[in-house]
Amino acid sequence: MKTIRAWQLAVLLAPAVLIYALFSALPLLDTLRLGFYTANDAGVRSFVGLDNYRTILFDPDWSAAFWNAMWNNVKFFCIHMALQNPIGLLLASLFSLKGLRGARTYRTLIFLPTLLSVVIIGFIWQLILSPLWGVGEKLLGLVGLADWFAPWLGQESTALLTLSLISVWQYVGIPMMLIYAALLAVPEEVLEAAHAEGASGLRIFWQIKLPLIYPTLGLVTILTFVANFNAFDLIYSVKGALAGPNYASDLLGTYFYRTFFGYQAQIGSPTMGAAVATLMFLVILAGVGAYFVMVQRRLTRYAL
Amino acid sequence: MAHVNIKQLRKTYDGRADVLAGLNLDIRDGEFCVLVGPSGCGKSTLLRMLCGLEEISGGELAIGGEVVNHLPPAERGIAMVFQSYALYPHMNVYKNMAFGLKVAGNSKSDIDARIRHAASILKIDHLLQRLPRELSGGQRQRVAIGRAIVRQPRLFLFDEPLSNLDAALRVQTRLEIAKLHRQLAATIVYVTHDQVEAMTLGDKIVVMHEGRIQQAGTPLELYQQPQNLFVAGFIGSPKMNFFPGVVTRCDDSGVQVEIAGGLRLLADVDPQGVSPGAAVTLGLRAEQIREGLGDGQPLRGVVNLVEHLGEANFLYVTLEGGHDIVVRGDGNRSVHIGELIALSVQSHAFHLFDAQGQALRRRNPGNLQAARRLAED
Amino acid sequence: MQLSSSVGTSSTSATIPTTMRKPSLIQRSFGSAGHLWVHAVLCLYAVIALFPIALILINSVKTRNAIFEGPMALPTAETLTFAGFQKVLAGTHFLLYFGNSLAVTLAALLLILLFGAMAAWALTEYRFFGNRALNFFIAIGIMIPIRLGTVSILQLVVALDLINTRTALVLVYTAQGLPLAVMILSEFMRQIPGELKDAARCDGVGELSIFFRVILPLLRPAIATVAVFTMIPAWNDLWFPLILAPGEDTRTVTLGVQQFIGQYATDWNSVLAALSMAVIPVLILYMAFSRQLIRGLTSGAVK
Repeated sequence: MKTIRAWQLAVLLAPAVLIYALFSALPLLDTLRLGFYTANDAGVRSFVGLDNYRTILFDPDWSAAFWNAMWNNVKFFCIHMALQNPIGLLLASLFSLKGLRGARTYRTLIFLPTLLSVVIIGFIWQLILSPLWGVGEKLLGLVGLADWFAPWLGQESTALLTLSLISVWQYVGIPMMLIYAALLAVPEEVLEAAHAEGASGLRIFWQIKLPLIYPTLGLVTILTFVANFNAFDLIYSVKGALAGPNYASDLLGTYFYRTFFGYQAQIGSPTMGAAVATLMFLVILAGVGAYFVMVQRRLTRYAL
Repeated sequence: MAHVNIKQLRKTYDGRADVLAGLNLDIRDGEFCVLVGPSGCGKSTLLRMLCGLEEISGGELAIGGEVVNHLPPAERGIAMVFQSYALYPHMNVYKNMAFGLKVAGNSKSDIDARIRHAASILKIDHLLQRLPRELSGGQRQRVAIGRAIVRQPRLFLFDEPLSNLDAALRVQTRLEIAKLHRQLAATIVYVTHDQVEAMTLGDKIVVMHEGRIQQAGTPLELYQQPQNLFVAGFIGSPKMNFFPGVVTRCDDSGVQVEIAGGLRLLADVDPQGVSPGAAVTLGLRAEQIREGLGDGQPLRGVVNLVEHLGEANFLYVTLEGGHDIVVRGDGNRSVHIGELIALSVQSHAFHLFDAQGQALRRRNPGNLQAARRLAED
Repeated sequence: MQLSSSVGTSSTSATIPTTMRKPSLIQRSFGSAGHLWVHAVLCLYAVIALFPIALILINSVKTRNAIFEGPMALPTAETLTFAGFQKVLAGTHFLLYFGNSLAVTLAALLLILLFGAMAAWALTEYRFFGNRALNFFIAIGIMIPIRLGTVSILQLVVALDLINTRTALVLVYTAQGLPLAVMILSEFMRQIPGELKDAARCDGVGELSIFFRVILPLLRPAIATVAVFTMIPAWNDLWFPLILAPGEDTRTVTLGVQQFIGQYATDWNSVLAALSMAVIPVLILYMAFSRQLIRGLTSGAVK
């Protein structure tokens, strides 16, 4: 009896599909197309095939910056995978322990940074790490590591790492919540059965809980991947579009911005920007594709 | 040795009123003990305390003569079958059954031997490589039982194992559990809310209500000599008919009670403990009321509703005087709604309960036929 | 992965309070010392998480000297000052920025909820040609970041003469949030019992009416989930306000703060005040709605 008329269906679907297509999907496709063009000074566009890509990837003036940004992005992602997700996993596991008093309070408090704007986060960490203010130094002094302190944000060797850590600090909340939700879904009786069979808390975690949340861990990984290869806000707020010092903290996002808009000496070029965006798209697509392939395999696991 | 001794066992949560209040119970080695009662009576809590999943607030629990209050589940020599089976969803049947043994450190060959043995008993050999989600409800349950068997515990704990099965499967599995009990010669503590399950499976039945043991005994004892109103109303299907009344006479022939409508009925019970004028409750089982005028005390009424079960009818009758009762009648006799019906009851069929709901001793609880019929249902 | 009430409980007892049913499996797993460790770790991390924010708030009401000399000290009677706040309020249109952020975020949320629910309903309830393809088309949007299309979005916005308008931001954020919202709402709608809809159909209610009068009111629990996933990224976004609506009138809080920091970099008092003003409303809302928010997150985080 579900007879719906075509026009009614259209009414339901049209607004969402239109807005989504117009402002998200089609622009993306158009950007892909634009990457094959170039514009001369008069603004006239002409088709140039893969020239833009050749330039970005191989031309000495351009490619160094591109590959630098790409490599930085990979490092950025690895640091997140190494820190953000394991910490989120640890916190979520602690939250899901039965009978933990104050769990809700902890959750609320620890999730707070995730809610705040990156601009705020970036600035306050800049202050804390600033050698002028000395808070960072004082804090390290508390654990006897005062000598260790250095203007990390200003040093080429440590800028990216520091910014990555700040980003990890802010976004731990997301894997934490997602994994926590997944752990909640594990039936309590299954855990009790394991306990009744003599399994220790640690064994229950590794052999029962963890395998049952593999799908969520996969999801968290791909979300981290997409977010990291799209990252821009933090670097821009703290370091500006030049992502200094000396492009040490340049990511694909900031590279894209500079290419597109131009910055200081460099003139902006929508077509080159489009090409960069397309490359970013391909990278992300590769990651998402890999995820779906692996999900097909892993998804045969849990289903109760 | 796997006898269980429970002394003054208590359970409270954070200083609130006792959920379980000073329970005493002894279970012999090899006995099939059923804990039965309505929701909230504490039977599951007691089971979980036996298992070690709930802390014991007071009293002593001993398994095989060893006090186990502070021992974790794995060291008590018990194995539990959960209501929802609680199989590990990501492990196949073989690994599910092997898990506990691996934790205990058994050798691979030993584990394999135990699993194959249990699988053959439960007829799940062909399912060993399957995942739980690929199994039917009945199969999952057998895996859950298998998981318990391989641990070779001295005490099996079952938490309402049949409640998730459909009716036909339930009856079949009941038989299998009974068979398993004999095969393994194990001590079993079994929780259910279904009194028919309790009566058919248990060697010893423990009726619980509001955190207390109402009565513990064999099925026959509970059927023939329920010690209080609760047990009398809980055991037996359909539920016992109750008549509130007042004692008019007590002597050697029994206790005569006048119920609403002026009807006077004689119960063959030991008159000790009541005197004329006392408020009492008469109890009468549906299957002990005879149709037609026999040589018992007569009752008359009008039939309101008839439920046909084939070899029996359940007649819902309103007696003169206004009481609504249920009568188990002969299925071959056709009865109509609105029909006037004559019934008779023997004095030894009655149960009598004093003002506190405690039962007076029946002197001739006989009529074993009815009890046996019930047990075979 | 289903998340409803699969936290199974064995036969429930009416007399046992559910909040206290299974006390400390922790204690048995980790020993009573383990309990302390857990709290220690959580406390430590909570401090790490909150410390920078606390630092902002404390120092925003201190004088410049006090900020420098004793950054971690609480404001005393002498060092307390609201000068920073005054400067920010006087020198910039902070309240305007705030209003902009609020307007944009709420408008986007509204459109996302309405249009997303309509689309989710159409996709889950009816079988029609292209249903799966459309589903896939929208689902991809979750993974592929909208920013990559910025070049073309900017061209479109300019062409529609929407540059420097809040409308442009609303449309973009709506487009950004729709895929995830459609997914969350679809999951949600699949759980609405079929009998409700069939009963309405038996009563002769038209399909569109069913949606607006029966289904839509039932979506209240899902609003929290959708709101969390769409409002937070929209509110905190820097990219699109920067590119599409950088003008003074349409500036959002996030952009405003960022510009302010750039302008008043050394006037730490004011900068911290600006940051606090950006943070405090969020904090208040968070404290008020944290339960719904977290419930929204955990119940919507499926798949």
